[in-house]
Amino acid sequence: MLDPAHGGTDLGARGTGGIHESDIVLEFAAQVRTALEAQGFQVVQTRQGNANPSFDDRSAMANAQRGAIFVTLHIASTGVPGTARVYVMNEMVPGTDATGLIPWDRAQAPFASLSRKLGDQVSALLAQRFKGSPAAAQTASVRQLRTTAAPAIAVEISSVTVEDRAQIDHMAPGIADAIARGAAAFRPTYVVPSNPGERP
Amino acid sequence: MTPRWRYWFLGALVLAVVIAAIYLPILRRNIRQAAKLQQRSEEQARRELSQPTVINPSDPKVKAKLFWASGADDGTLSAVNVELPLSSDPVLRAKQVLNTLLAGPVDIELRTVPPDAALLAFYLLPDGTAIADFSEALATSIPSGIQSEQMAVDSIARTLEANVPKVRRLKILIHGQEVETLAGHLDLSQAFLVNANASAGPRAAVGAGQAAMALTLTPTAAPVKLAAPATKP
Repeated sequence: MLDPAHGGTDLGARGTGGIHESDIVLEFAAQVRTALEAQGFQVVQTRQGNANPSFDDRSAMANAQRGAIFVTLHIASTGVPGTARVYVMNEMVPGTDATGLIPWDRAQAPFASLSRKLGDQVSALLAQRFKGSPAAAQTASVRQLRTTAAPAIAVEISSVTVEDRAQIDHMAPGIADAIARGAAAFRPTYVVPSNPGERP
Repeated sequence: MTPRWRYWFLGALVLAVVIAAIYLPILRRNIRQAAKLQQRSEEQARRELSQPTVINPSDPKVKAKLFWASGADDGTLSAVNVELPLSSDPVLRAKQVLNTLLAGPVDIELRTVPPDAALLAFYLLPDGTAIADFSEALATSIPSGIQSEQMAVDSIARTLEANVPKVRRLKILIHGQEVETLAGHLDLSQAFLVNANASAGPRAAVGAGQAAMALTLTPTAAPVKLAAPATKP
């Protein structure tokens, strides 16, 4: 599940040269999609055009799938230009429920260690490709990740503040390759739950 | 209608269109200015009601630990010791350290929160839950992004953690309202756990990842089943 963040009236981070996060991530998503499909993944995007589904709508698309992994793409307005970071959700207290269903507002909790594995795989590849990028995934309370019941990471690229848009565009193939190869390396370690919404 | 009357009618119509073309942009500008003034005066009223807590020189001077950016460009924070007269009352003390944090470090490059952000109110519930209400500028003036938003929240939470031991959890409001995210990325719908590792004490320099370990999200709302989310879908 590939999530180009923001969209519609939500432009995301805005650079001085008229660069909008929502536009760039959509273009990046196209390249990431191609790279993932080349690795044998079936890819679904949370948005194809200039729409802005809610956080819950995006999570719901992933949560309805069986064996999905979730990658949300962001461009920051800070950070060293030409670097990229991977975030996984903060440690959360897993919900307990008599029915065995995962609580919606803590959907990511049972997937925390899987998300960490996926995040570290992608981070390591990004660090090799983009000097100055952290070699391991970092944790942050990313809203989009919290309600996603799947191994989920946020990839944030720096930054919209570059003077020349080409500086960001040049990163797209490397970002796509790192995500696709990281996901491929993660795949054998992911024991897929038998039903959507089940604990891994 | 005779041709003469038709000319008069058309003339009046053209005149009305010309007047409207001149007057409408002025009217629109006036409406926009009035809306801005109203918004500003509401914000001003809130600020006046919650005047920044004045540091009382008679309070004992202590070394307060304030967390600003380390300057390393990697999202890390650094603790800075500032000698401040701090009240023993936890609410006043929290307001004093947060207002000092908002005032910013000497080096403006190390700021973690926008310069125009203000603390509008601060409450401490008996169970240790702190509610910090910030002005809209905290959300609207902060550089958008996971790293920058995480740094802002980390610096607020860690500053409270280091200086106000009674605070156990932190809920951030923007202009008196609960918001889903700070500026499109960082989750503010839940409370942050503060002082989880009180015995370990604050670290001198913490990365975003490390800080997050101490800022485990603690869901406060009753859990909602995956099959029936609280809002959409």
